[in-house]
Amino acid sequence: MWLVFKKELLELLRDRKTLFFMVALPIAIFPLLFGGVAYFMSQAVSEAQTKTLNFAIIGEQYGAELAEQLSKVESLSLQSIDSTLDNDEQKKALVRDGEVDFIIEIPSNYGSDLINTGQIVIKLFLNDAQLNSVQSRLNKIINELESGYQRTSFAALGVNEEQQVALLEPIVIEKVNVADERENIGEQIGGLIPYFLFILCLQGAMLPAADIGAGEKERGTLETLLLSPISRQSIVLGKFLTIAFAGAVTALITVGSMAIWGIILSQGMAIKVVSDFMASIGLIDFLLVFLMLVPIVAMFAAVLLALSIYARSYKEAQGYMTPLVFVVIIPVLLAVIPGIELKGIWAWVPLTNVALAIKELIKGTMDYVQLFAIFGSSVIIAGGLIAFCVYWFNKEKVLFR
Amino acid sequence: MIAISGLAKKFRVENPKKLSAQDKKDPRLEGRFFHSVKDVSMRCEKGQVLALLGPNGAGKTTTLRMLSTALQPDAGSMFIGDTDVIKDPVAARKKIGFLSGSTGLYGRLTGRENIAYFGRLNAMSDQEIEARITMLGEKLDMMSFLDRRSETFSTGMKQKTSIARAVIHSPEVIVLDEPTTGLDIMAAKTVIDFIKDLKAQSVPVIFSTHHLEEVTELCDSVTVIDHGETTFDGSLDAFKALSNEGLHASFMASLKQGVA
Repeated sequence: MWLVFKKELLELLRDRKTLFFMVALPIAIFPLLFGGVAYFMSQAVSEAQTKTLNFAIIGEQYGAELAEQLSKVESLSLQSIDSTLDNDEQKKALVRDGEVDFIIEIPSNYGSDLINTGQIVIKLFLNDAQLNSVQSRLNKIINELESGYQRTSFAALGVNEEQQVALLEPIVIEKVNVADERENIGEQIGGLIPYFLFILCLQGAMLPAADIGAGEKERGTLETLLLSPISRQSIVLGKFLTIAFAGAVTALITVGSMAIWGIILSQGMAIKVVSDFMASIGLIDFLLVFLMLVPIVAMFAAVLLALSIYARSYKEAQGYMTPLVFVVIIPVLLAVIPGIELKGIWAWVPLTNVALAIKELIKGTMDYVQLFAIFGSSVIIAGGLIAFCVYWFNKEKVLFR
Repeated sequence: MIAISGLAKKFRVENPKKLSAQDKKDPRLEGRFFHSVKDVSMRCEKGQVLALLGPNGAGKTTTLRMLSTALQPDAGSMFIGDTDVIKDPVAARKKIGFLSGSTGLYGRLTGRENIAYFGRLNAMSDQEIEARITMLGEKLDMMSFLDRRSETFSTGMKQKTSIARAVIHSPEVIVLDEPTTGLDIMAAKTVIDFIKDLKAQSVPVIFSTHHLEEVTELCDSVTVIDHGETTFDGSLDAFKALSNEGLHASFMASLKQGVA
């Protein structure tokens, strides 16, 4: 068995294609891609927030105070346009053609005496499909004016400050969260982690599996291997271990690289939440997460090996394996759905229960007794699948198709 | 010594309707089963070379696969020396060196690693393997390329490596399934020289072929299979005597003999 394992591993390590997918992709290329995307995103956002915008005011005579405030903002530059424009279409056209970035139309009832003016409706013409944060910049100014007007109006009505606060926001809900920070974040991202881990394990195991079963059949080496005086069981176990090993290593490398890059980035950008969250998950829980992965990897490896050995060629094997991704995604996605918890029937759905258990471990709310049951049942399923593989390897119909 | 008698093997036909008209005419198709091999017997004594002849689809490969324990026969008996191949396949595998025309190598391993892997699978020690590879490497003239990855090999180099791999464990008998089919003349010659060498060491060899000149050059006895049944089993001289118009005519005569 170890003989077969050692040889398969040696072959695997000599294959540049597999190595590329297993090692280079997760360590260097994924972080580069994600990092690149994140970098350009933040660049674009900050540019949008600081870019100087051209704007025009219609009805400036009604709201000199507002116009003055706007002209004080550095990143806004006032353009004069034909103030006789009274057609909305023409104003729209100006914005659409890029003549100005936005037009603000102050109504004639504008004023600080809210009791007499009634509600003031300011019309804003802008292209909201563009990323230039017009509204957030305007809000800053308008909110300030607004609260000033409110205050003077309330004062005019003889309402004192306490009453003002009550009037403006009559009822407030104060949240007292009993979940700690870890449980909070865990609930949000805990479902995604098993999802990534499962898919990575499966992906990492797929290429070697196709190569080790169907690939050998295609190259004509399988027959010779079957004729050597070594039991089928050893062949199956050797191949199975190789596939499982490849899957687990891929997942670990990827998660490791994500964690390292995550730490580097979060320290660079001083995202304290991330590092605190990581620190709050104890070492034992981390180890348990990986322990739970063992039967999962074993299940994947056994199924992949069975499919691979059934296929006549490498291509056929890949064809059989692709739908498997969807078969795996669905039970794991179930675990991401907020309402589904590790209770009742869900504790007995394979894959889903492990995904839920990993989520609970990350949240720090795991019932460790239940963990035994889940681990045990997964191990039994994995063992059954391996046994099936051995049986499958003894079928002439499968081997000599 | 190899003795095979009354060997039979049937395969389940998954969907009889899908078979071609020609397949349906084959007398070996009975209901849902296709009797690929119905009754094959042959005998190969120590030091003899036996040629297995027959048209395509006659059951040669199935017979040899049963002998090499890849397939389980439904009936009949097979002995290598005094080992019952059916009852003790693992022991039989140690005694057989098997090579077919379609055998491949692990491309990402070197020639030496390929050969050594099968040595280890045959429970040989590292020293034994090393000594044996050196011996075979010199005999087959393959020292110059043994440590290169086998995916870069030419057909001839591959065939030499496959041969060395098949005999690494010094098997008692050699089974070759169309070893020269699809090979160029040089590579085919390597195989023929190798069979001659085995004959000189009095290792019995069974090989299937479509080349009659190989039969005259190498063989002591001939077995002809047609439609899964032995139609001729005897010495090369008896085979030649079937017709005085040459070997091809003898072959045709041997087929008819079985039908009659």
